[in-house]
Amino acid sequence: MQNKINRFLLDFSVLSIFRRGSKNIFIFFVFTLLIFLLSSILFISNSIKSELDTTLNELPDITVQRLQAGRAINMPLSRVDRLLAIEGVKAVIPRVWGYYYFANAGVNFSVVGIDSFEDQYRDLYSKLCDKFDFDRLKKDSGMLVGVGVKKILQNSFYGDYFNFVKPDGGLTKIKIDGVFKGDTKLESNDIILLTSQKAREIFGMNKNEAVDFVVKVANPTEIPNIARKITTLYPDSRVVTKEDLSISYQNLFDYKSGLFLALFVISAFTFFMIIYDKASGISSDEKREIGILKAVGWKIDDILKEKFYEAFILSFASFVTALCLSLFYVYFLNAPLLKNIFIGYSTLKPAFDLPFAFDFQTNAIIFFLTVPIYIAATIIPSWRVASMDADEVMR
Amino acid sequence: MIELKNVTKEFKIGAKDKVTALKDINLHVGKGETVLLKGPSGSGKSTILSLIAALNKPTSGEVIVDGKRVSKLADNFTALFRRENIGFIFQRYNLIPTLSAKENVIVPLIPSNPDPIKLEKRLQELFSSFSLDSKMGVIVKNLSGGEQQRVAIMRSLINNPTIIIADEPTANLDKKLSLEFIEILRKLKSSENSIVIASHDPLFFDLDFIDRQIDIQNGEIQCY
Repeated sequence: MQNKINRFLLDFSVLSIFRRGSKNIFIFFVFTLLIFLLSSILFISNSIKSELDTTLNELPDITVQRLQAGRAINMPLSRVDRLLAIEGVKAVIPRVWGYYYFANAGVNFSVVGIDSFEDQYRDLYSKLCDKFDFDRLKKDSGMLVGVGVKKILQNSFYGDYFNFVKPDGGLTKIKIDGVFKGDTKLESNDIILLTSQKAREIFGMNKNEAVDFVVKVANPTEIPNIARKITTLYPDSRVVTKEDLSISYQNLFDYKSGLFLALFVISAFTFFMIIYDKASGISSDEKREIGILKAVGWKIDDILKEKFYEAFILSFASFVTALCLSLFYVYFLNAPLLKNIFIGYSTLKPAFDLPFAFDFQTNAIIFFLTVPIYIAATIIPSWRVASMDADEVMR
Repeated sequence: MIELKNVTKEFKIGAKDKVTALKDINLHVGKGETVLLKGPSGSGKSTILSLIAALNKPTSGEVIVDGKRVSKLADNFTALFRRENIGFIFQRYNLIPTLSAKENVIVPLIPSNPDPIKLEKRLQELFSSFSLDSKMGVIVKNLSGGEQQRVAIMRSLINNPTIIIADEPTANLDKKLSLEFIEILRKLKSSENSIVIASHDPLFFDLDFIDRQIDIQNGEIQCY
């Protein structure tokens, strides 16, 4: 009987929330807004982190570039065989890729040329495209484009094809064979995928050259050794391992998440200011009410229980509302404004969707950073007043 | 039933100054007795009432109610003592203005999680005996002064108290409403209830149901 939930006390608490309607509505909105900001920041951060992890997993073991005067220049394909001769190297894949500046829209497209024997690309791009048919790409001399590219081309009245301007001023007309899935990867959005032969044509590259080489290594622990051997073999080369790339991606992510952290700190600071303001004072009406409750026979723990219910209902309702709003904002609306802080560097402003990454731990952190603190901030001043003599409080 | 033994009460004003509200008070109120404490404002009447109801503690001396030394009880026990024994009618009613009449009346019972059916029955009884049936759901701040006082009386009676305390109950009422209140008090008097009233309203001075009048001046009992 003692443990039975006191319905009257619960009713009284709910009633108290509505009785102090304007004040509680204000608290509800501020609290919801702050939790919404905190959780949105963490959701976006988590989402991009998971995207980053996926990207890092797909990075090549070793990328080899050729340098001249400190700048990357094309690699002669004749080096492939010598690299393949290094023990432990499983495959060497020459890559033809680059950026094509589309002046009409003022954006850069990432142009990637692939060959049919490059299984790595087959796998990767098959994930990005519903029906990846390389043979069709080769047969039609066409291209696959990202959603962002397709949209920009359409805006410039290119429906089925696009005329690339070559370095010599001539045009190369290429048919659009398909579009990557819009909800897949951040990277796919600004990509144009075509045969390496066509890519060379667009960039005016010699057919015996590639932009860089991707080296696959059979044993991942051997990557540093093989990288060293390549550097020794070709002193003019820059050898970038998967780990190096991971670090630079991670640095970029850390820099971006630093901005998020700043936002997080600001919203957390605002939250604690409000909480401090609430904790440091209790209105004269509330004080008097506590005095009346004591005078008519409420014990201190009855009053605290009532205040607990009141604070819990209000803060938990705010928490749930804010969480739903931020889930909707991040994963349904795709986090307008906030997302741009992370991906704003892209000239294409890609319309990629944040992948759903619901982390229970993150939500628990938000919960414990907000709800119990608010409850404590409500209960402590009430406890202070309730500990005084009822007569004194009512005066 | 109620006994004050050598009770002194001092209030601190500021860091050093203090005011002596009661000086060495000795008082006994028997079961079923109705006592009027009279005297000018600031004489200490209300302080005696708050000590009997354990709303405050004496600086020295003892307050004993029904054999319990209420002045020595811990805070939670004094609250329980009030809930079970005391019906306090405050001078300014001390209602929660944003609650309805009904909600105000049930406030003392909320912590004990009462049986809803029995509670509803008790509320109907009270509201009809005080002719406020139609005002049960009205927010008390929208009620007249007399109606608010009747709500305050119902709240003090909801727990069937053995001691009814009324502090300047007619101070905020006109004569007609004051006489109505006196009639209510007359009905409340029984062999089971002790009633202690603090008032300097002359309307109380010649009432036949008041057993004893005690004059208090400057925190001291002048005469019984």
